[in-house]
Amino acid sequence: MSAEEQTIFAARDLSKRFRGLTALSGINFQLKRGEVLGLIGPNGAGKTTLISLISGTLAPSDGELHFEGQRIDHMPAYQRAQLGIGRTFQVMKPFPGLSALENVTVAALFGTAGGEHNRKKAREQAREWLEFTGLGHRADQSAEALGGPDRKRLELAKALALKPKLLLLDEVMAGLNAVEVQEVVGLILKIRDTGVTILVIEHVIKAIRALADRLLVLHHGQQIAEGNPHEVLSQPNVIEAYLGRRR
Amino acid sequence: MPAVLYQSEHSEQSEIGVQLFGQVLVNGVLLGGLYGLMALGMGLVWGVLRIVNLAHGAIIMLGGYTVYYLYTGAGVDIWLALPLTMAIMFCFGYVLQRYLLNLIIRSAMLNTLLITFGLNVVFVYMAQLAFSADYRTINPPFAGNNFEVLGITVPVVQFGAFVIALGLAAALWLVLERSTLGRAIRATAQNLTAARLYGVNPKSIYAVTFGIGTALAGVSGGLFGMVSQVSPYMGLTLTAKSFVVAILGGLDNPLGVILGGLVLGIAEAMTALYLGPTYTDVISFGLLVLILVARPAVLLEKA
Amino acid sequence: MRVRVVLLLLFLALLAALPWIGSDTVIQFGINTLLLATLAQGWNMIGGFTGYPSFGNSVFYGLGTYGTAIAMSNYGLPFPVGLACGAGLGVVCAVIFGLPILRLRGPYFAIATLGLSAVMAAIVSNLNIAGNNIGLILPLFRGDALFYELALGVLVLATLTVFWLSKSRFGAGLVAIRENEDAAAVMGINTTLYKVCALAISAFFSALVGGIHAYWITFIDPSSAFDASLNVKMVIMAVFGGPGTVFGPIVGTFILSAISEVLASSVSTVASLFFGIVIVLAVVFMPKGLVDLVAGFRRSGVRYFIENMRRYRI
Repeated sequence: MSAEEQTIFAARDLSKRFRGLTALSGINFQLKRGEVLGLIGPNGAGKTTLISLISGTLAPSDGELHFEGQRIDHMPAYQRAQLGIGRTFQVMKPFPGLSALENVTVAALFGTAGGEHNRKKAREQAREWLEFTGLGHRADQSAEALGGPDRKRLELAKALALKPKLLLLDEVMAGLNAVEVQEVVGLILKIRDTGVTILVIEHVIKAIRALADRLLVLHHGQQIAEGNPHEVLSQPNVIEAYLGRRR
Repeated sequence: MPAVLYQSEHSEQSEIGVQLFGQVLVNGVLLGGLYGLMALGMGLVWGVLRIVNLAHGAIIMLGGYTVYYLYTGAGVDIWLALPLTMAIMFCFGYVLQRYLLNLIIRSAMLNTLLITFGLNVVFVYMAQLAFSADYRTINPPFAGNNFEVLGITVPVVQFGAFVIALGLAAALWLVLERSTLGRAIRATAQNLTAARLYGVNPKSIYAVTFGIGTALAGVSGGLFGMVSQVSPYMGLTLTAKSFVVAILGGLDNPLGVILGGLVLGIAEAMTALYLGPTYTDVISFGLLVLILVARPAVLLEKA
Repeated sequence: MRVRVVLLLLFLALLAALPWIGSDTVIQFGINTLLLATLAQGWNMIGGFTGYPSFGNSVFYGLGTYGTAIAMSNYGLPFPVGLACGAGLGVVCAVIFGLPILRLRGPYFAIATLGLSAVMAAIVSNLNIAGNNIGLILPLFRGDALFYELALGVLVLATLTVFWLSKSRFGAGLVAIRENEDAAAVMGINTTLYKVCALAISAFFSALVGGIHAYWITFIDPSSAFDASLNVKMVIMAVFGGPGTVFGPIVGTFILSAISEVLASSVSTVASLFFGIVIVLAVVFMPKGLVDLVAGFRRSGVRYFIENMRRYRI
């Protein structure tokens, strides 16, 4: 594969302003097919905003987004999902009145390339994804009734059922204990092994180290570091961004 | 409104035109103030409780009858009957919210629409049974009096209603912005969980808020009965107009709602003057639809 | 499962046989109820499945009424063509009005549709006063039995459509929109297209009912064609029975119509009062409709009520 074909996603000079508040400015980076990029930075740095710009939940104020050679910055969210971009939400968005299985079935029915049109087959696939994320035994429970960690698993199963080529994970490990974090890290690595490109927002540094091939650090909406996890995490400006926050 | 304009000589036409215009405008403003008062309660309940009260007009009607029976029936002085009605309606609203509406308040919006619709039917028909379908007017001693300003006749009753409307709106604003109760209400509206942590009891705050809304609606019914008439069916159009005004005014912003009322009052008056009185509904509802479609962003936050 | 299908078919056969069993009054009641049930099913598609409670389907009903009437009385077209015109008119307007109004969420959508239906009713009553189109007379067709079967057929069609929604990918998309529209969009569902389609299908059935009703009663006038109270009726019937279910609206319509009919023969004022109380109690005790109540009661008995109340109260 040529270098160009290896780049699945690129952001150029991306910025987002909200009525006087600049959430992001001058974001430039690329994603190679199959890699795991960790997105870190203190709270309010603009990480979720960046994910929302990529998934189409928000529209950029400036800049370009390219996915698999297409410009997508003004494409509506549903089209991007059909192209193969899937995401989880930090504030989870399940379908409350439906069961876990039905939640994931919807994702299987739609998603990349329009999803699986046959409802029965979609349901079977959904069951498999629930098993994959460890929710098999809760398939018929209402999404509302699920506890915190299970809701995260459901979010993940739904994002996976879209069969994304690019998966955007927004703090899937928040609120999980050490054992659960290990499990989710294992899951994500399994997903990576199937060829999915992953962009992970995470605060749990141990998890990021285990997952990420590269790191991108945001602070006050700007890119302050990018590269190898070990190097990036020992850079003084990165450390200052985190420690500075605790003042 | 007769089309006198078009029949006079040109030179007289402009004079009569201006005066008629001015009269109609003033009428519109005065009525608009009353519309604003009517909508205050609906907007408050909508903004704080997320309840769209389809029985709002019926409550206005019940308030009107309360004033009527206190004043005309029991001979209570009109200046006492109005506040007394407010107190009675407050209790009525409090009980309604506390023991009925609180039961379903966390379910889908559609359910609150339906239950208030049901309540509307109940109130209207009970009113018909109890009070018969006759129109009644509330005639305080100063009923027929007018005064003139710049050649424009201002009826005392209309003017009084207008002043009371403004006064109550200001009072509501003061309560919401400056009092402890108001703070509790606003806190509950914004974040129920946080408000609870501060010791607010949502059950009673909701009930009090609804009670305030009912009290305001009730007194506006009494004023409407003085300006116009009360009958069991008067509520339907008043609910609709309160919708329009509440949305125009931004729901729980009392001063905005009064302004919204003025806009509707003037729009109706102008429509009646230039297009004919039968078009007022077209304008009111047309305005409603236009506002909703044109200002979705503002309303989305409240959804 | 097969037992249920057989029972259903038997019930359908019984309904179809009514014109030969019942009196004229019963047949007329039947036609009205069947048409109302179709309206409720139509509402179910946009309100129950998609979660956009429309209070404006009376507009499409009225357009169907007038479209059919004008085609038949002014242009002498046969009934099927007239009906197609009426239905087509309803669908086109659903798309035109739907695009701006479906951007509104929740109660604002409901109110906007309510406003729309009120505007239509107001405009139309002004045309009335102005002397235009005081009313139209359609060619007469004797034979209530045929109208009855037609109404039954349309109800079956509407119910089959709802059944299809409950099993299809499109229907799953609508339900997703209802449950969480933002999430649905991010999952690849073209929410605007889906919503407008749902409204269009709903409008189709509303307009169809309007056209049939017009031909049946042969005389139409603007205020009854665009009668805004129909909106509330269809919503209550559908919600009482069970929004988002296949048979809920039918059950709701049949039961409430029967009750209302029985009461109308006694004092009519009390009937309305009773109706209001029924609605209030229904919202408190069976917020998800009758169908869900029956299923839930079977599952958990009295706990069904307790759970519901605990969930929805403050």
